Amino acid sequence: MATYTVRKLDLRSLLQKIMQSSELIAPVKTDLVRFQVVEDPHDICLTEQSFYPVKEFIFRKHEVLVSFNGKKVITPVLEPKERVIFGLRRCDLNAIMHQDKALIEVDVNYRAQRQNLTLIGYHCNEAPSQYCFCGTLELKDFYDMMFFDRGDEFIVDVATENGSRIIGKYPEFFRKSNHKVTEADKKIKNADRLFKTDISKLYDHPDWQKGVDKCLSCAACTSLCPTCYCFEIKDEVSIHDTKKVDRVREWSSCQLKGFSRVAGNHVFRDNRKERFKHRIYHQLDYFKKRYGINMCVGCGRCITACPTRIDFVDIINGMK
Amino acid sequence: MQEAVLENKYVPKPAKIKEYHRESPDNFSITLDIKFKHDPGQFVQISIPGIGESPISICSYSGENLRLNIREVGNVTKALGKMKKGDPVFIRGPYGRGYPMQLLKGNDVVIIGGGCGVAPLRGIIEYIEHHRQDYGKVYLFLGFRSPDDILFKREMDHWKIKYNLNLSVDQLPPGTCFDGKVEFITKLVEATQLTNQNKVVFLCGPPKMMDIASGILMKKGFHEDQIFVSAERLMYCAEGICCHCMIHEKFCCKDGPVFRYDELKGYKND
Repeated sequence: MATYTVRKLDLRSLLQKIMQSSELIAPVKTDLVRFQVVEDPHDICLTEQSFYPVKEFIFRKHEVLVSFNGKKVITPVLEPKERVIFGLRRCDLNAIMHQDKALIEVDVNYRAQRQNLTLIGYHCNEAPSQYCFCGTLELKDFYDMMFFDRGDEFIVDVATENGSRIIGKYPEFFRKSNHKVTEADKKIKNADRLFKTDISKLYDHPDWQKGVDKCLSCAACTSLCPTCYCFEIKDEVSIHDTKKVDRVREWSSCQLKGFSRVAGNHVFRDNRKERFKHRIYHQLDYFKKRYGINMCVGCGRCITACPTRIDFVDIINGMK
Repeated sequence: MQEAVLENKYVPKPAKIKEYHRESPDNFSITLDIKFKHDPGQFVQISIPGIGESPISICSYSGENLRLNIREVGNVTKALGKMKKGDPVFIRGPYGRGYPMQLLKGNDVVIIGGGCGVAPLRGIIEYIEHHRQDYGKVYLFLGFRSPDDILFKREMDHWKIKYNLNLSVDQLPPGTCFDGKVEFITKLVEATQLTNQNKVVFLCGPPKMMDIASGILMKKGFHEDQIFVSAERLMYCAEGICCHCMIHEKFCCKDGPVFRYDELKGYKND
């Protein structure tokens, strides 16, 4: 739509202004860098990749789907509030798009979280982590506004009405620019680690064992993956009144053994090899077959989080 | 962003148990007071608030009172087993892709079922009863663990007269009597002279039994696209998002639970 510049000095004041009218979520440095609701814009950290993705603010860890009071069925009223997320990397933004593909037409709770949400990106010039590999995954432009870091100032690309609204609200911070954002601007250095993106023919390759041998089935990878969205549904009974029941949705993980357990205790993906491969294939093959796009966005968080540091990118690259 | 109103797909409809019938020590059938259109082979999510939801295949004919056959194995099914006529349950569905009965008109039908896998197959038998002129001969191969475990005993006499019924039990515990074969049902399939001409096979049962049965059918010259299997997986959402029921890239709740055999070829269990 249009391009602007923002002085780096002004960024905090701009975010402070945004915070006055809506909730601001951004990567904040605590023990680790994680997305959270910002209390002071000085806490925002843009120098490293966030360890935790933004997922939990959109696809909630624990959410009531429907409630019961005796025989009465109660549908929760969803009132999405005005929220702005700042500091999303290209991978984080694409992850939201990928979750949209699977969930937004089906899940009313997810859709409510996506409403009244403005997405403001912060583009990497260079891969922020040694495990990043977004370069070969054909990520798309998906944002309301994107901030490109250019030393003393940001070049801001505005892509949607939502983005323009921010400009309209706080025009004092934005100066119109003639710069046209090109492919060169969107290039992220040192992020082209994954050479093979088509793994459909490699299912029976013996090299998968290299990863499996080290896998603990701990599910850290899926918990920290910005795209993984599997869940389970369970009933929670109120301890004060057993007639009151919440049917809730909770995150789950395909890496856990019970994930594919059916009645009679049969587990379909009983060993780690099948579960490990299932995750990689869902990310790089199955999702693509269904939605035409890889689920994986190449953020590398699953590798950073892995206690035994299984680098599946290396494993795939090494397959002959 | 689309602003169109999306309905909450997890909201179930209330229903009451109209008839309760115990089929075997760990299996029972319930008929509910709700009716809707569905295909044979589709399933519903039945739930009891506070205990949970469970996916159960439908074994009645479309538009008639919903009937489910349930084996008591988990929390929900055990709680359902303790219910009686008039008790409330909650239902959402129907879900999934059922058997493509329309496309298979004019064929002889071979139905092979093991244990509670017979439940979804009963839906096919009901369908054929309502559209008898559209299908040729019907062969039933139904296997159970022991005579006590035989399901649909009330219907069995009727099926024996109308169709070519082959009934077997895996074992005959001391003190029980049974006038059929004591053998794995797959052995009975192997022993028949069935050819693949103008036939479709519907197969449902424990994974191992389905593997063996399909192997036998292949040896008899059946093609993969003549065999339809009904798969069982853990399902929560039934909307193709929770990912528990994935069989490689296929979602059992959306793309299945009924698959043509070649659609799952080579997938085994992972």
